[in-house]
Amino acid sequence: MEQFFGAATTIVIGVGGCLLYFFLTNMLLDRIFPASGPNISRNINRANAVRPWLFLFPALILLTLYLVYPLFWSIYLSVMDANGRAFVGMSNYAWMVNDPKFLESMRNNILWLIVVPALSTFFGLLAAALTDRIRWGNFAKAMIFMPMAISFVGASVIWKFVYDFRPEGQNQIGLLNAIVEAFGGAPETWLTHEIVNSFLLMVVLIWIQTGFAMVILSAALRGIPEETVEAAILDGASPLQVFFRIKVPQIWGTILVVWTTITITVLKVFDIVLTMTNGQWGTQVLGNYMYDWLVRGQDSGRASAIAIVIMLLVTPIMIWNIRNARKEMR
Amino acid sequence: MDNIVGQKSSLTWVVNIAAAALVLLWTIPTFGLLVSSFRDRDQILTSGWWQSLFPQEASVHYRAGAPDTAVQEGGLYVIAGNVFDGAGGVVSAFGTNSRDPAAFAAGETVQTNDGYELTVSEDGAYRLTSAVPFEGTRGERFFVTTTQPPTFTTENFVKVLNAEGLGRGFLNTLTVSIPATVIPILVAAFAAYALAWMEFPGRALLIAAVVGLLVVPLQLALIPLLQLHLKAGIGKSYIGIWLAHSAFGLPLAIYLLRNYMAGLPRDIIESARVDGATDFQIFLRIILPLSFPALASFAIFQFLWTWNDLLVALVFLGSTQDQLVMTGQLKELMGSRGGDWEILAASAFISIAVPLAVFFAMQKYLVRGLLAGSVK
Amino acid sequence: MTAKFLASAAALALLSGAAAAQDVKFPIGEGAFNWDSYKAFDEKYNLDGQKITVLGPWLSVDQELFQSVIAYFEAATGADVEYIGAEGFEQQVVIDAEAGSPPDVAVFPQPGLMRGMAAKGQVLPMSPEIVQWTKDNYAAGQSWVDLVTFPGSDGAANTFGFFYKVDVKSLVWYVPENFEDAGYAVPTTMEELKALTDQIVADGGTPWCIGLGSGGATGWPATDWVEDMMLRTTTPENYDKWVSNELKFNDPVVVNAIDQFGAFAKNDAYVSGGAGSVASTDFRDSPKGLFASPPQCYMHRQASFIPSFFPEGTVIGEDADFFYFPAFAEQDLGQPVLGAGTTFGLMKESDAGRAFIEFLTTPIAHEVWMNQTGFLTPHKGVNTDLYGDPTLKKMGDILLNATTFRFDGSDLMPGGVGAGVFWTGMVDYVGGKSAQDVADSIQSTWDSLQ
Repeated sequence: MEQFFGAATTIVIGVGGCLLYFFLTNMLLDRIFPASGPNISRNINRANAVRPWLFLFPALILLTLYLVYPLFWSIYLSVMDANGRAFVGMSNYAWMVNDPKFLESMRNNILWLIVVPALSTFFGLLAAALTDRIRWGNFAKAMIFMPMAISFVGASVIWKFVYDFRPEGQNQIGLLNAIVEAFGGAPETWLTHEIVNSFLLMVVLIWIQTGFAMVILSAALRGIPEETVEAAILDGASPLQVFFRIKVPQIWGTILVVWTTITITVLKVFDIVLTMTNGQWGTQVLGNYMYDWLVRGQDSGRASAIAIVIMLLVTPIMIWNIRNARKEMR
Repeated sequence: MDNIVGQKSSLTWVVNIAAAALVLLWTIPTFGLLVSSFRDRDQILTSGWWQSLFPQEASVHYRAGAPDTAVQEGGLYVIAGNVFDGAGGVVSAFGTNSRDPAAFAAGETVQTNDGYELTVSEDGAYRLTSAVPFEGTRGERFFVTTTQPPTFTTENFVKVLNAEGLGRGFLNTLTVSIPATVIPILVAAFAAYALAWMEFPGRALLIAAVVGLLVVPLQLALIPLLQLHLKAGIGKSYIGIWLAHSAFGLPLAIYLLRNYMAGLPRDIIESARVDGATDFQIFLRIILPLSFPALASFAIFQFLWTWNDLLVALVFLGSTQDQLVMTGQLKELMGSRGGDWEILAASAFISIAVPLAVFFAMQKYLVRGLLAGSVK
Repeated sequence: MTAKFLASAAALALLSGAAAAQDVKFPIGEGAFNWDSYKAFDEKYNLDGQKITVLGPWLSVDQELFQSVIAYFEAATGADVEYIGAEGFEQQVVIDAEAGSPPDVAVFPQPGLMRGMAAKGQVLPMSPEIVQWTKDNYAAGQSWVDLVTFPGSDGAANTFGFFYKVDVKSLVWYVPENFEDAGYAVPTTMEELKALTDQIVADGGTPWCIGLGSGGATGWPATDWVEDMMLRTTTPENYDKWVSNELKFNDPVVVNAIDQFGAFAKNDAYVSGGAGSVASTDFRDSPKGLFASPPQCYMHRQASFIPSFFPEGTVIGEDADFFYFPAFAEQDLGQPVLGAGTTFGLMKESDAGRAFIEFLTTPIAHEVWMNQTGFLTPHKGVNTDLYGDPTLKKMGDILLNATTFRFDGSDLMPGGVGAGVFWTGMVDYVGGKSAQDVADSIQSTWDSLQ
């Protein structure tokens, strides 16, 4: 109970404190540069130059301490030895480019980056569009959202059982093999089939991330002003035309956001691969490979070097987003 | 006119069917887990969950009553019982040797390896007789091919819910996740507003930086951050984990909210500015209420992430019995080697309940109307 | 009985101040336990008010068992010990130590991780008394000491760990009644084991269940096979050289041992589900085949912990039993046994921490656990009649009859090999690669480690 009050107090202090901070600093700013008196235009300009930073300050502090600082720490570790004690220059990177497992991870990651964000966003958009039009939409949304609420480990166990293999003649407990057998096929050890297994792992992530895409896109679809849709319907556009010509262009920014977020989730994914194959049989991905060297290999140098590569892979997405943001502002 | 109505209703059908197909596809795996959570470990590993819904044929071994349960009947020593132990079922065949477990049809009387006479009838009743007293401490083993109606157990849930410390873990998790959801939303909302609607140099660069920071791998951040906490005197405490969770959720929050806010109609904000409102007022009175759908959707995801998290909690809060969050408690139940699938299934459904409730509660904020109303 | 217990408890309360009101599993002073060792320790220490934390990998059942041992330490000294069982122990201990908030004592499931942390100066050396005690009082004491003697942060070699709780790995599990039904006898030599394997195939059965699946640790069961085969095909000295990489991983001796494992695992007729299913079958599900009807297999090679994954209600010694994974009669290598164990390390300097390690040297600390379940010890001074069940005693005998005892080699290799490419390499091997190719690639990774 005591703990509960502690938490409640924190929420009040945290939320109240934040509001108070924003309120007081803004008031102070208005006092220092009042929007009245002889220097009104100069004061307004100055206030407007300072105010964004007041709004950004708490976020910047948290981001710097908790994300930027570890980022530089990782860059530092990536040029150090396994224990982070001695400087080794670029040798971790040199090791990396010659390591077959690393190259395999890169290849797989590229596959993941193409397949998962595309299909998750597609299914998410489909789910959002369909569930918005039916009466039991809220229930349907909850069902599609459910995988998101199950932890990654729980999800991996679910799918481990879907892909499970029992020798021919025994009772199949894996759904996939049971279906194959029902159609007269022979059971397969799915997770050891190179290439196929990578796609089977992607299915798990798509299954999870579709819920995310659906929720965000559904909110965006509902935010479209009704007038534009009504006007199109009056012009005689078919429902499909309305969807693709009117609605999709209006939520294009949100689709980009969803795509970006899922792409980044893909770059970081390791739980699914770790629990289902541990990157064996040609399924290794960068996220899991980094984790492997960090926890098993006890080599923070190599792990950090792989992490830096993951972070570099995000650069094109950053550029894409900057360009998009610039376009919006015009 | 009729034509349009006809088209509409057929379209409604298509939409309904497509949605149903999608929902079905997405729920089948989870449904399998739900069914599995009502089965015991041996069942999970010997037959598919879909089979458990129908009567099942299985070949199993059964151990007759121990020799000391024998009774004397007219010069014969008899051990009798039922292979179903009360539950119903049908025996189609039985056997006495593991190499041929279905050698005899139900009802036959046969000699066992040890020279006893055994008969198993269709209803599962068995009778083992011998002219001399039975020996040893263990009952005779024999094999039966049975067809049994579906059986389920609630034991897994009982076990999970009764687990020591689960209540405490539940409270700890709530204590972690509620502030860790509310704080980043507020901080991010202000930042997102600044990035969406305020002019200042370096804005595009900051947006890019936020996207870039989304990708920083958590695992590498843990050690330097824990060091930081220890040096700052926060140590392993709730304050530490609130800050950590808030900060880790911040890039996504800012990114999502900024995108949403940037899409709000420009005229509302411009006209408010013309009316002399300050940015602070615009933010509180106009932007915040209009952004409810985005705030709600981020709240759902941030809550989920803190709810299901184990790693961050273990590092920043610690793992003593008092500090452990619910995910940690559930992990402990699964033991050192973690093969208890049935516990995993049951605990997955217990821990899914709260996030799902949050989803339903937040769903009403995901609707339009707020925006449509204010534009007019 | 009660009166006696109360009397002894009262006597103890007088001896150790107020701390004896602990709940202990076995009343102090009763039974065949070595209570003298407890009393001596009790008199030596008074640590009232001191508190230490112990971080270890034991959870649920093991955690309760270990806590029953801790209770005696607390009763004797008055100190407060908090045991924390961590799911991801390896990760947690590294993060805590790096960040500067380590536990007082850590329980390492294998020495490899301890070596790495000792090199960074994160583990304190054991006192010379403890080291000497281990040499004198553990069976093959010197070899236990050698396993945890590494260079510290200053480069000088020191002993950093103390072994407590040992596992035997060279065991083959089977269902005695299935052997009886088919008329098979328990093999006592590797030649007999191979003959039996062929016999089972000839009779239309499948001899082995082998599963390497273990989620993120897939492959490790194969490393135990290979280590057992190393001990059965070459000298213990070669085994030690292999572990330290003086003998290269792709040496013909090692390649031969891998192929000895492959002779079982890569033969479709020998393994349930065929060779193709070995790598993906979960090691926890694998032994289930022994109990199927008809049996999917007759034998399963696995360490002493595996009964926890047998079907519910299985009685060890009756429904299932084990025999020693035999050695080749033609190779004059005696009766080698592969094992593993947990080793305690001091992470912070404290009186209570040092005293706790010393407590673990007392016979009572071993007897309390061994009288329950799942505990083997090389301690020569304990009363072996106290083993809680005949199975443990039988395993204890295997340990005692061993002419050679060697520690799980993969646990001693650097993490990137022993918990990395050795695992994945074995998966590739059963997947079809040749032993030579796999060994070459493991060796090349080992070479690449600085």
